[in-house]
Amino acid sequence: MTGKLFIQLLVNGISIGAVYALIAVGFALVFSVLKFSNFSFGGTISACAFIGFFFQKAFNQPPYWITVLVSSVAGVLIALTVDLLGFNRIRKKNSPKIYYFLSSVVFAIMIEQILTVFYGTQMYAFPSIFATTTLQIGGITFSKLDMTILAIAISLLVILIIIIDKTKLGLAIRAVAINSNTSRLMGINSSVIIVLTFAIAGFLGGITGVMLGQKYSVYASLGPSMMLKGFIASVIGGLGSLGGAIVAAILLGVVEIFATFVFGAEIVPIVLFGIMLIFLLVRPQGIAGRIAEEKA
Amino acid sequence: MNNYQIGLTILSCVSVITVTGVYALTGLCGMFSLGQAAFMCIGAYGTFMLTRYAGIPLIPAALLGVLAGVIVAWVVGRLTLKLRRDYFALMTVALGQAIPSLVVVFSEYTNGALGFTKIPKVNGLIWITLGITVLVVFCIRNLKYSRYGRMCLALKTDELAAKSFGINVYKLKVKIYILASAIACIAGILFALRNRYIDNTQFNWALSAEMQIFLFFGGSNSLTGAVVSAFVLKMLPNILRNVQLFGVSMQEYRIILYCILVLIILNFRPAGIMGEHELNFRWVSRLTAKIKNASGRNGGKA
Repeated sequence: MTGKLFIQLLVNGISIGAVYALIAVGFALVFSVLKFSNFSFGGTISACAFIGFFFQKAFNQPPYWITVLVSSVAGVLIALTVDLLGFNRIRKKNSPKIYYFLSSVVFAIMIEQILTVFYGTQMYAFPSIFATTTLQIGGITFSKLDMTILAIAISLLVILIIIIDKTKLGLAIRAVAINSNTSRLMGINSSVIIVLTFAIAGFLGGITGVMLGQKYSVYASLGPSMMLKGFIASVIGGLGSLGGAIVAAILLGVVEIFATFVFGAEIVPIVLFGIMLIFLLVRPQGIAGRIAEEKA
Repeated sequence: MNNYQIGLTILSCVSVITVTGVYALTGLCGMFSLGQAAFMCIGAYGTFMLTRYAGIPLIPAALLGVLAGVIVAWVVGRLTLKLRRDYFALMTVALGQAIPSLVVVFSEYTNGALGFTKIPKVNGLIWITLGITVLVVFCIRNLKYSRYGRMCLALKTDELAAKSFGINVYKLKVKIYILASAIACIAGILFALRNRYIDNTQFNWALSAEMQIFLFFGGSNSLTGAVVSAFVLKMLPNILRNVQLFGVSMQEYRIILYCILVLIILNFRPAGIMGEHELNFRWVSRLTAKIKNASGRNGGKA
């Protein structure tokens, strides 16, 4: 493998890893607040990819940022609807965690099936947004799409970390993540924060939907298969930890691109599964080293 | 019964077997697995690769296929069941994706996405299937009322309390996971014998999720509910396949309909249709006792 090819693959891997990081963060946020794995996120990603695709088609190449904006708003709306129909009553009744699980799985399956029934299982290619698709830097060819995705994903991650770490909203989210009842006693409106967390996750889902749709073309099971990588990243990073999830996701993206290059795309799920097994064996607390406590 | 009806009955029985396994896992122990379809895949491919390439007769091959599933379950269970439950759920999702892609990686032998068709024909499959179904349901029913079943329920309700009563929670979880996976392997073998064709897309995570949906629809605490809903929900869409909605057959909609049903159940009756109730014949004896009592009293008066 030449040095140029290596750098090209590395950048490619980091770019796709950054998208996985967005998924992992969306997942980790909901996980840290409600302590359950939100599978419906995958459905949101698929649905937003389709919405972005049809928006792009219907308005004959609108500016890229408008497509991203529309689909992220759609992501927020879908996440809020899912919360309203699926989780609201369960939360009010204080039901066991397993019902959250089932509810989110049901939504993931339902969205995938609705898309399959109406649009089939075939892939829809996103229209290209750039006149020329590649970019030359120092004799190395980069895909413009990958660079755009990388830039958007990194800036979103930075904004998100600033929100979580520096603002009052972030403080409230962290407080609810530790204990929602105590936070309520401290004057934080826990239910609003929970809904807001869903909205942030939906927003991230919408953006990742469009970006993944452009990279891999749009199909009904896009979201669930990509969501899995976000999950694995957040497990390797340490469940519920944002920093760990981001690092793990970028590592995962790089490993995936190299594994695809060397062995072909079919081996990727097996490699990821193996990495996850080894991590759980050697370091179950994840990269961040902070194991999520079981809530009594 | 014609061939179609026989095929449908076998399919419903396979669904009952898998859901019974999931009942032991989720209903009794509270572990949420989304990878049971992967074990169906292991069972089916393991068995029929052995009959095809090693020339082993069907029954020993089936036993070896189940053994393969047991080994995988043991490895995965050992690694994840010591951690909190979410790790287990996520791990099973990853397993559910990894096993079908393993099939594609070894396309040379499995024929990959084109499907594997060299499956022997078995006469009287429906009787075998019905027999195995009854046996599995009977075993799990006995498990529920045994000491193990009570240990499982204790563990589901409160792990810490169960530990303090001297239950080895981790070992118990691994055992139940292995049991459920072995049952899924058996179901996978029957499924393959019925279709005489398997490919990797049949064992996707939608199938695993379908099992959970059936279980919670019937009631995750009731074996009767799980069995009945698995049978009926699998059967109904096939019977209604000629009904059209928006120009698409009901068959295509079935998973969406299941989803809507289970959402309604989750929101308004989280315990499922059957709740905690089980089908038993205690009411018969109660009824006869009542009749006896009534006639006895009448006799006294007269």
